[in-house]
Amino acid sequence: MKTNDVILQTTTKVVFFIIFLFSIHIFFAGHYTPGGGFVGGLLTTGALVLLLLAFDLKTVKQALPFNFTIVTGIGLLLALGTASASLVFNVPFFTHAFDDFTLPLFGVTSLHTAMLFDAGVYLVVVGAAITIIQSIGGDA
Amino acid sequence: MAFQLILNVFIAVVWMFVSGSASASTFIIGYLIGLILIMMTRRFFKERLYIARLWAAFKLTLLFFKELTLSNISVLRVVLQPKMTIQPMIFALPTDLEHDWEITLLSSLITLTPGTIVLHVSDDQRTLYIHAIDVDDVDEAVDSIKHTFEKAIKEVSRP
Repeated sequence: MKTNDVILQTTTKVVFFIIFLFSIHIFFAGHYTPGGGFVGGLLTTGALVLLLLAFDLKTVKQALPFNFTIVTGIGLLLALGTASASLVFNVPFFTHAFDDFTLPLFGVTSLHTAMLFDAGVYLVVVGAAITIIQSIGGDA
Repeated sequence: MAFQLILNVFIAVVWMFVSGSASASTFIIGYLIGLILIMMTRRFFKERLYIARLWAAFKLTLLFFKELTLSNISVLRVVLQPKMTIQPMIFALPTDLEHDWEITLLSSLITLTPGTIVLHVSDDQRTLYIHAIDVDDVDEAVDSIKHTFEKAIKEVSRP
């Protein structure tokens, strides 16, 4: 039976963006304050799950036409690439580097290669969790 | 509404270029000048002044807090009564709101005020089914919602 989900869907259209924005904030907060790639990725997954609950699997797949298995692969490659890039500079595996840069709008920002590794973790978490949920929820 | 708002921001930005300063206070001065200009030329717009709609939204917020206080007190009286003399009821509220956000807003306001809960929205979005703790007269309950929240929401959404 199809019921009228107007309240859930309208609220989701607003709340989705708030959760997504917060997940980006949590991801970038990871270096100095609590947060990081894992919780950021889970929060993003939470936002996507809310979309899946309010709308159906097909609609969300059309709206976000990513193959989440490939997203997981890209995340793993990014993490491995960041870790092994130190070998090029003749330092041990997993050695990170950082420096201060002056960016427009942000001012002086300390950029650390650990953030790239975190981005890899983020993509793996989002890809794996959404793959699990989509394959449990879908028919095939 | 969106056009007037963009026009007002545009006037404020032009004012910032004219006075050659990019501070927030210059923007606010330009915005106020733009507001006066838009009020002067209001006959050229098909819609109402957007300030009127903002004012209606502000009044809706005040109305919500007033209803929240009053209905909290009435639920408190129901809870503290020694005898159970309440009459719970599920009734249908016909509505002529059209947009999704209007219906969502009306349902949220009805649910947030204690004593009433929206259970279901009918498939054609013309009827809300509401559960109320203590209703003497259905028509009276329907009328009270129609005359407070629905009227105020219509006032906000009227173009």
